[in-house]
Order: sequence, then structure tokens, then C-alpha cells
Amino acid sequence: MVVESVAVLDLRNLAACEVELGPGLNLLWGPNGAGKTNLLEAAYMALAGRSCRTRDDREAIAFGKPLARAEAVVAASGQRRSFLCSVSRSEGRRHLLDGSAASPESAALRPALAVFMPDRLALIKGPPAGRRSHLDGFCAALWPGRTETKRRYSRALAQRNALVGRIRAGAADPASLDTWDHELATAGVELIADRREAAELLAPAFEQVASDLGLAADASLRYRPRSTAADPASLAAELAERRDADLARGHTGWGPHLDELLLEAGGRSLRRYGSQGQQRAALLALLFAERRALLADGRPAPLMLLDDVASELDSEHRSLLVEHLVEGGGQALITATEPEQLPRSAQRHEVAIRAGRPLTAADRGRIRGGEAAA
Amino acid sequence: MYPQPIERLVTELAKLPGIGRQTAQRLAFHVLRSEDADALALADAVREVKEKVGLCEACFNLAEGPRCVVCEDRRRDRSLICVVEQPADVIPIERTHEYRGLYHVLGGALSPIDGIDPEDLRIAELVDRVGADEVTEVVLATNPTTTGEATAHHVAELLRGRVTITRLASGLPVGADLEHADEVTLGRAFAGRQSVG
Ligand SMILES: [Zn+2]
Repeated sequence: MVVESVAVLDLRNLAACEVELGPGLNLLWGPNGAGKTNLLEAAYMALAGRSCRTRDDREAIAFGKPLARAEAVVAASGQRRSFLCSVSRSEGRRHLLDGSAASPESAALRPALAVFMPDRLALIKGPPAGRRSHLDGFCAALWPGRTETKRRYSRALAQRNALVGRIRAGAADPASLDTWDHELATAGVELIADRREAAELLAPAFEQVASDLGLAADASLRYRPRSTAADPASLAAELAERRDADLARGHTGWGPHLDELLLEAGGRSLRRYGSQGQQRAALLALLFAERRALLADGRPAPLMLLDDVASELDSEHRSLLVEHLVEGGGQALITATEPEQLPRSAQRHEVAIRAGRPLTAADRGRIRGGEAAA
Repeated sequence: MYPQPIERLVTELAKLPGIGRQTAQRLAFHVLRSEDADALALADAVREVKEKVGLCEACFNLAEGPRCVVCEDRRRDRSLICVVEQPADVIPIERTHEYRGLYHVLGGALSPIDGIDPEDLRIAELVDRVGADEVTEVVLATNPTTTGEATAHHVAELLRGRVTITRLASGLPVGADLEHADEVTLGRAFAGRQSVG
């Protein structure tokens, strides 16, 4: 599965351009503000159908333009498919696969996406909700058949919370909570088991990559569920015990919707005590651990979109980073201000970007010619 | 603005599910242009369905008269009750020819979000039937959705120990509606129903 090209129209500072990509490492390099990160965002948008940087996709539309567009061509088993995302100020967002609306199932026809961007650090230093939903997303990528568990849990939780509200308002019978405790617990126990299994797959790889990237020798990843209930009846009993507190609070204060994916170094939470550099390394280690788990399961490697990942690493750690990137194949788009930020030894396809435009061969020839004449 | 009678027809048509105002206007003009006999036949059909079709007093299935055709049928196995959410759910089960018992239509599923509590469904009536008649097995055939599962669990708890309670075997896609399940899948689900209490 290879993303062969990304074409962009009016996305932030990128006007109209198209970039061909190589099958392995792709280095997008240029000065700050040239539009390298915007090109990563374009690749993400084309494939995922939404921006990875903002909730309001219209922010991605270039100033004064009516719409932004990003298209990626994916080649897999002899077939080429076009993924296109357009965001219009008046009509909102559209995601198309070969010209028709892309369904959730169409995600199977493109590589999974792993994104490293400075604003993504919120995943490490933000509240647990982000890490929970990231872990659930990884479960969904690993076991597409189990995505219903999470949805079922969320629906049961919404129903139980609504019921708690109605009981508080005197509109419903407290005894009717039994039914929803059971429903929540049935889905909850499955959700906890999926997350635990996923975290156990990720933990060894996380520890190794974190150490390779200089985070710490004893970095760890651990799923910490609230409940240790092994069967629905036990979890339902735990919910029943906490009923009064729930009725006082107005919502459900126990269950896997409050669990934590704990990332630690030196026995201390990276969320609270990690330095900026450690948090960056932890995010990378998490992405690489997921990549390795997918590969180990025989899945295609995710497309790694890594923004300014090398600047804070020394040369030894840069080399280890590249080793992890090429292990098992797959594609990566990496931005850097200088091509030397990636070890010269690494096979790569280079794209130079200046002022919102990737330079073509002709551009480069002209620059060289101009320089020769001067 | 249209003449008042057209406006009224458009307003009434637009109350139907899936019919927006534009479609309602198109339908209203279609009715206006059609033959008198055709238009009046439609009006008659609407009136007749409301006058003649009600709910069965025993099982709350649709009925032309006090009892539905299933309850009236002497050959049906009266020891078996299949619990469904809506009258529409009876039809696909009947089509499988796998089931020879009676029905009980709850009239929906538990959903606190929509303000639907046990008292809003015909659950008490089901408990009465199980107590009064020669019922030995209750088959829970609510939809395999969150609300359907919760409803099945609620009913199972109420009837526990009084009769055999079975749930349709999985094989129905999770989250799907009974109404849209195909006959083969549904037939298999019936044949493989499992005891839950
Ligand atoms: Zn009847």
C-alpha cells in the first residue's frame, strides 16, 4: 500500500501543487513557514477526511479562498484509488473515494495514519480522555470487528446518565438502574479486556523505543482501569454500590470511561512531570509501538506523518529513529529545516519546499542556472 | 401562498416520516391533478385503516377487530410467547415459518434518553399473561441494539424463575433491526435461541 502523490489546492499557505512521494522515507525540507507542516496536514486530510490540527476544518482554507482541497492517490494490489477531501466555507466538508462519498469501511483501502505534530503533545500532557480515545482508536485499527464494543458502551453510558438525571428529577424509578447497570457492565467488561490486551501488546515496544529515543531506560506504558471486575456481574455490583454518589453527582462516576493509559518514566507520570523533550519522545514511542504491533499482526505499516521530529534529537538518536522508521517497510513523511537533519545514510525521497510551493526539477534547475550565471 | 385547502394537505403530508415540505408540495399537487376516484380512494384508505385496524387486546399486535390473526388462530402453540418491540417486528418472524407460538408487542424499548421507562411499555401486561395462561417459554426477540438488549434483560429479570426465558441466538448483526433482518438469518436465530433464565 503506497501513497503515490498528494495534490493540494488553497490549503493554508499552499496554493495549487502536487508532490510525488517515494515508497519509503520522504523528507520534506525547507525554511520555517514554507508550508511543510501544511503538506503533512494535506496528506492526512486527503486520507482521513478531516484535519489533524483543528476541529474546525474551515481554518485550513487559504485566506480569501472559497475552498481547500487535498487529494492522495493510493496504490495497492495493482489498483490506484483517489482519496479526496474538500472543505468549503459555504458547504462544509466532503470526503470522497474515487469520486463517491467515502464510507467508514474505505479506511481499509488506505494506510493507517500516525501523526506527530507539536499540538499532538496534548495526547501525552493532556487529560486521560485523549489517551483513552487514542487507545480505543488503536483497538479499532487492530480489531475492526470489535469497534461495536466501544459504541455499545458509549450508548449504554449515555442512557444510564440520562436515567440518573431523570431519577434526580423525580421522573423515574431508581430501581430501573438495574437494567442499565447490567447493560453498561456487559459492554464495559469487554471494553476493559480489549484495552488491556492492546496495552499489553504495546508495552514492550513502547519501553524499547522510548529507550532508543533517549527518553529513559525505564519508561513504561500501562493500562490502569478503575475497575478490576472480571465479569459483568461484578462490574454491575460495583456500579450498584456507587449509585448514591452517582445520583448526587448527576452522572456515572465509575467505569472504563474514566480509565487511564499511564505513561511513566522513572516511576513518575510523564503527563505531570515529563519535560517537553520527554513528552515528545513519549509520543513518538507510542506511535512506533503501535506501528510495531500492527506490523506484528500482519497489517500494513501505518503512514507516519512526522513534523519536525529530528530537531531535538542528537545524531545517535536520529539514526535510531530512522532505523525504527524503516523497520518492516512502509512510508513516512518527515519535515525538517535542513536535509542533514536526517542521517545521510538513510535512503529517502527529498522534496524541497519554499514559500508555499514544492520545488519542481525545473525550479531547481533554474535556481542552479541562476546561481551559475551570477 | 397556496389556497388554504392545499396548504392544509401539504401540512398534513409533511408530518409523515421522511417527507419534507418540498416533497409534500409535490404530492399535494399530484393529488390535486389526479382523478377524483383515485384521490378519494386514498382518503378512504386512510380513514379505513384508522377505523378498522387497532391493537390486539391480548398481544398488542395489529388487529382488525379485538384479536389479531395470530391470537385467533387455534393451531398456534399457546405455551410460547415471543416478545418484540413493534408490530412491524412480527411480520419478518412470521415469514420464517419457524415460529408457531403467540406474540407480545411491547410498543418500544427502554430508553431513558427518550424518556421511555418500563411503565411506558406493555411489560406489566406481559407479566399478567405469563401468570394467567399456560405459558412455559418466553422468547425475547427485541432488537440486538443497546435499548433492545436492556429491554430484554429487564423483562428476563421480571420473569426469572416463572418460565423458561430464551433470547434469539446471535447471528443477527449487532445493532440491526429485526424489521430489516432477512428470513434465513432470522429463522436460524429462532432455531438456535438460548436460555437466559
Ligand atoms: Zn394478538
